[in-house]
Amino acid sequence: MENTDKSLIEAHRQGDLKAFGELVRRYGDSILGYLMRMSGSHEQAEDLFQETFKRVHEKAHTFRGKQFKSWLFTIATRVAIDSLRRRRRLQVVSLEQKLDCADQNSEELGAVVLADNSYEPSQEAARAEQAEQVRQAIESLPTRQRATLVLAYYQQLSYREVAEVLGCSIGTVKTQIYRALRTLAQKLPDV
Amino acid sequence: MKRHLTERELIEYQFKLASDVRMKQTAEHLDRCAQCRENLERLAKKFAALDLLREGAKVSEDLISQVMEQAGHPIRTGIVPFRKRAWISAAAVLLVGLLLLANHLGQERTKQREVTKELLPVVEEMKLEEKGDYYVSGTEKEAAAVAEGQTEDRIIADKAVIAMPERAIPEQPPFAPASAIELVTLPRRDKVQLTIYNSADLTLVRERRNLTLKKGWNWLQFMWANTLIDPTSLSLEPLAQAGKIDIQQLVFPARLRELGRWLIRSELSGQVPFEITYFTSGLSWRAFYMGTLSQDEKTMRLQGYVRVSNNSGEDYEQAQTRLIVGQVHLLDEIAELARRRYPYGRPGELIPLTEQPLSEQVVDYQRDLDQIRGRLNELIAKPKEITKEGLSEYFLYTIEGTETIPNEWGKRLLSFEAEDITVESLYKYDQQRWGDQTTRFVKCNNDQDHNLGQTPIPNGDVKIYSRADSAGLLSYVGGTSIKYIPVNEEIELNLGPARLVKVEPTLMDFKTDNYVFNRRNNITGWDEIRTWKIEITNTRTLPIEVEISRGFDTAYWTMQFYDKEVSYEKYDATHARFKVNLQPRSKYSFEYTVTTYHGTREETLSK
Repeated sequence: MENTDKSLIEAHRQGDLKAFGELVRRYGDSILGYLMRMSGSHEQAEDLFQETFKRVHEKAHTFRGKQFKSWLFTIATRVAIDSLRRRRRLQVVSLEQKLDCADQNSEELGAVVLADNSYEPSQEAARAEQAEQVRQAIESLPTRQRATLVLAYYQQLSYREVAEVLGCSIGTVKTQIYRALRTLAQKLPDV
Repeated sequence: MKRHLTERELIEYQFKLASDVRMKQTAEHLDRCAQCRENLERLAKKFAALDLLREGAKVSEDLISQVMEQAGHPIRTGIVPFRKRAWISAAAVLLVGLLLLANHLGQERTKQREVTKELLPVVEEMKLEEKGDYYVSGTEKEAAAVAEGQTEDRIIADKAVIAMPERAIPEQPPFAPASAIELVTLPRRDKVQLTIYNSADLTLVRERRNLTLKKGWNWLQFMWANTLIDPTSLSLEPLAQAGKIDIQQLVFPARLRELGRWLIRSELSGQVPFEITYFTSGLSWRAFYMGTLSQDEKTMRLQGYVRVSNNSGEDYEQAQTRLIVGQVHLLDEIAELARRRYPYGRPGELIPLTEQPLSEQVVDYQRDLDQIRGRLNELIAKPKEITKEGLSEYFLYTIEGTETIPNEWGKRLLSFEAEDITVESLYKYDQQRWGDQTTRFVKCNNDQDHNLGQTPIPNGDVKIYSRADSAGLLSYVGGTSIKYIPVNEEIELNLGPARLVKVEPTLMDFKTDNYVFNRRNNITGWDEIRTWKIEITNTRTLPIEVEISRGFDTAYWTMQFYDKEVSYEKYDATHARFKVNLQPRSKYSFEYTVTTYHGTREETLSK
């Protein structure tokens, strides 16, 4: 029988590192995806990922009863927002980052091309360009709107969960999402 | 709902952001309205692009390992949980400790007084040093604390600070790269002294500045851009704590022109007075004089001035100014040294002096206008005296107080003023030197009898005026330059041609005589005998003395002269000099006969 989040975090609080490891594996992909969409960079997302779970480890004793997933995303959101604030002051560019705007995604997209030969190169190029436009449009959103949209749309959190993560009402979440979509509707290309 | 759906309503419907009632109404409208359906589809296609980023991320095992490794480290506890029992225990221990300490202090109070007495001399010394602006050592601090009656706890605390391992100064000095090094800020000058030599374009500048040093190695940057400072003459000396401060070297970093950096090793932190000395060019001074003759031209008032000019490129504020009279031997012209490109002290191409752009001139003009007000105030203020003293080889004039001499400005200062100097007006006639015109001179001595003689008089221009009438109106008589006049030497001022006094020599008779022939009947010797009449006309309303020099182009001559009114002397081997006094508006003439000997007749005179 699979351990619940609560039992795992309780076990971790008692010093069980394995329980913590299980939590990392359970939510790792989701948190990394969220942080990638928030930061726009795979490398930064990995750094934020480590920072998020470091805080989870350190603050485990403060976890009180509510949904672990919401609590985890709350921490990840704070880590991401802190990082974005710092990045606004100091633009950090990785030495490994390619000058090409496709950067790290290009490698992954390349893997997709190899896996599915039915894709035409021209189509793939157009798709990559469109993806970059979407990424830039999302990155241009205010942090709060971005977090709301990413949590709701990409991380598939319910509006209630998003409200819990962001510490606001469901109505506020909906308003934030609407504003984000309205901005994206202007920035995304017509099909 | 008859109208078409807005974009907001479509977005809210698409992403289920609206209320249930609103969602139902929108759905009903969409069933009926093809255009809104089309709009919704277009919007849905647009937002479908968001799915391009839906692809999930996969956490690598490495990343998980790193997180787990991080979690394995001890947790940094930010919050100390309050445990009642532990806090009560800690408070009890603290209370007991304080009680014991108070008891201990009471017993030691007497001992402290004794210690204080022993340390008082040190404290007094320290207080004296505190009047200066330099560092006080830890030991002295300790003594001061005891003297001021601080408790031993405090002293122990200070000792703890002192006992902490001090940061040792690295043996090797830091490398001085061309940029990005920590530099000691060069503060404003506290004092500056200028010693200006007028014989050469040379000024010795001595600046006092209080530098704030840190313990260890310090770099002090000195820049002389756009000035005429000789970088090879730069010198830096601490005026206090010399034993703890070591000036290691002066470097001229590559590619950084017109700056030098001193490397200073300091064993203390704090403010230390330093003296920076260097030679500069562009500062000069010259003397000039104004003489005013009395109406009878028997006495003169003489005023000596010095004009200090600053074209060194540097403003010198409140500078003590000293002027040197005398010749100085220079190895190089300072101005050339200052213009020489790096490295200094080697022959090299000189940077040409360029014309100042017009825009800079306008800026300078604006700045000068601001300075005029201050300068006018200085001119109105009481004139300063110049004190003089003799040096071994030179003579030193020190201007009283301090002077501000901005760059490209000059300043006139009164050097001396002497009243009622007895003078002799003298007219000279010397055809070989001044042609047919009589030249006027004013003569006196640089001695105490003439109300002078306190100092040598530096060379300079003299302008002589005369009181034209009893009302005191002045007329310009003439001007000249004088050379350096030592004490007790004669001052003779050449005032130029005198039109009111004429000297006219006329040759009255000429004959040859006493020819000598050799065996071949060739002339080998003879005498030339000339009689001259000298007529002197004085059209002035004053009695005058006229000095007439006559030259004979040979050292073999004899004079026949008989006039008791005229004094005669053989001035030198080839010249005779006559002196005659004339009454106002009078004429006088005298004659003399001179015999010159030529050829073998010269031997006759020798015998």
